[in-house]
Amino acid sequence: MDVLPLPPLAPSPLARLRRSVWLYRRCLGAHLRSTLEYEKDFWVLSVAALLTQGVGVLLLSAVFRAIPQFDGWRFWDVALGYALVALGEGVAVLLAQGAWGLAWTVNTGDLDIALTRPYSPALQVLSSQIGMNGLGNLVIGGALLAGALAHVDVPWDAGRVALAAVLLVSALLVKVGLNLATNCAGFWLASPFPMFAFSMHTLGELARFPITIYGMGVRVALTVALPYAFMSFFPASALLQERHLWQLGLLTPLVAAWCLALGAWLFRRGLLRYESAGQ
Amino acid sequence: MSSAAPPAPARHQSWVAYRGLARAALRSLVAYQGAFLFGLLASVFSALAMLYLWRAVLASSPAAHGFDWPHMRAYLLAAFVAGSLASSWVDYRLAFRIQRGDVGLDLVRPVDYQRARFAEAVGFGAYELGTGLVVAGVAALAFGGVPAPPLGSLPLLLLSALLVLPLRFGLVYASAMAVFWTQNYVGVQAGRLALVSLFSGALVPLAFLPDWLRLLAAVLPFAGMASTPALLFSGQLQGAEAGAAVAVQAAWTVGLWYGTRGLWRAASRQLTVHGG
Repeated sequence: MDVLPLPPLAPSPLARLRRSVWLYRRCLGAHLRSTLEYEKDFWVLSVAALLTQGVGVLLLSAVFRAIPQFDGWRFWDVALGYALVALGEGVAVLLAQGAWGLAWTVNTGDLDIALTRPYSPALQVLSSQIGMNGLGNLVIGGALLAGALAHVDVPWDAGRVALAAVLLVSALLVKVGLNLATNCAGFWLASPFPMFAFSMHTLGELARFPITIYGMGVRVALTVALPYAFMSFFPASALLQERHLWQLGLLTPLVAAWCLALGAWLFRRGLLRYESAGQ
Repeated sequence: MSSAAPPAPARHQSWVAYRGLARAALRSLVAYQGAFLFGLLASVFSALAMLYLWRAVLASSPAAHGFDWPHMRAYLLAAFVAGSLASSWVDYRLAFRIQRGDVGLDLVRPVDYQRARFAEAVGFGAYELGTGLVVAGVAALAFGGVPAPPLGSLPLLLLSALLVLPLRFGLVYASAMAVFWTQNYVGVQAGRLALVSLFSGALVPLAFLPDWLRLLAAVLPFAGMASTPALLFSGQLQGAEAGAAVAVQAAWTVGLWYGTRGLWRAASRQLTVHGG
């Protein structure tokens, strides 16, 4: 067998981390194999994701064709934020799609199974699905990001490349954290469908555009209440370093840590409310 | 035992049945309105994003392709109300019925499957239209009102508005039937939503699209789902052009109704119901 053995349960944090990552990868791998059994599904979902993101980009370019610049924003500036949202969505769907199944798992009592295993229930939930449509998002988001980075006016040096890498990874984690946090509503709402999280996800889609176009209420909501603007607008501003308040974008790694911690905390609070099946 | 088919119900009995289905659908939606309203919130956020985007865009340029900000507002809000009909609520219900095999039970009921589902869509539509109009009204007030539609366009606007629900239903019904072959609906729905958002002009008026896409959109069924009624409402479509657009909308409504009947006959042969 070429499978590496499961790292043992050990007291040191590093060993615990290694074990968690190993198990996460194994859980996703199992779902990848089951997903690939349904080849038609894979293609339908991938094409749908390509269409969804492609249509978004097409509509954006149609707007900029008519009006090449508004409020100081050009197509490729906006495309940078747009690409980050598509990439965040792609990573969240591909690697942590399980968050969207939480409401159903709680409603049916299936979460019981996760509670009996010696592995973090939150990580089990996150790795319980793999969304192959994430690949479509990653393809469009990656192409758009490459185009945007080639066109925006950034003096590239080693420092700026490192900053871009840190901002990109952090922006992606903001989305994963907020997905988990909003889906934890499933513990409080009786519905088996994650409608609350879905509507918040759509709120997050507002961050595809520069948040300076919105009224103050929407800006505060996207910056403070549910900081979706940190998955696109602020990291993009920090990279371009030419917009008002771009320094806020340097906080993206901290915001990512906050969103992940918020998701984990809400999950633990939710577990205290969880009544299991057969009540 | 006689194997003769049961006699067809009298016409007025069918009518009572369809009315009952519409009423039951409306009640089921009211009973679970929490989930529905969160779904509505999602489309409200999308509409809000486009309103803000267009406000910023048109502040830089007083008019583009004949749209100034007040008329763009009217267009987007009318498109939003049209888009709130046959929502994802109706959509998933139709698809789950097939996916879970409940459709097997429907086949033995003495009502026409398509008409029964349409009756339900009308029941849901009453609530969808009500909430859509309230949201659009509030947004109109918040963004500074909308100009009234021109009086001369009212008869065509009314006709176009009436065609929106059956037309949207036709497409949703057709795509739900894809489940007979794909078993999975999430991808089919997402793909359809992407095409509708592009070709219906719900987010960006079709005039802004490149010529070849605009010409394609003019002959596809999608324009009648948002663009045609919204253009009539905002006064951007008049005269012979307006008549032609509504004629295309009507032709697709009828075409989809009868086309999906044929599709249903083929699709129901694909049915697999477990446990029987």
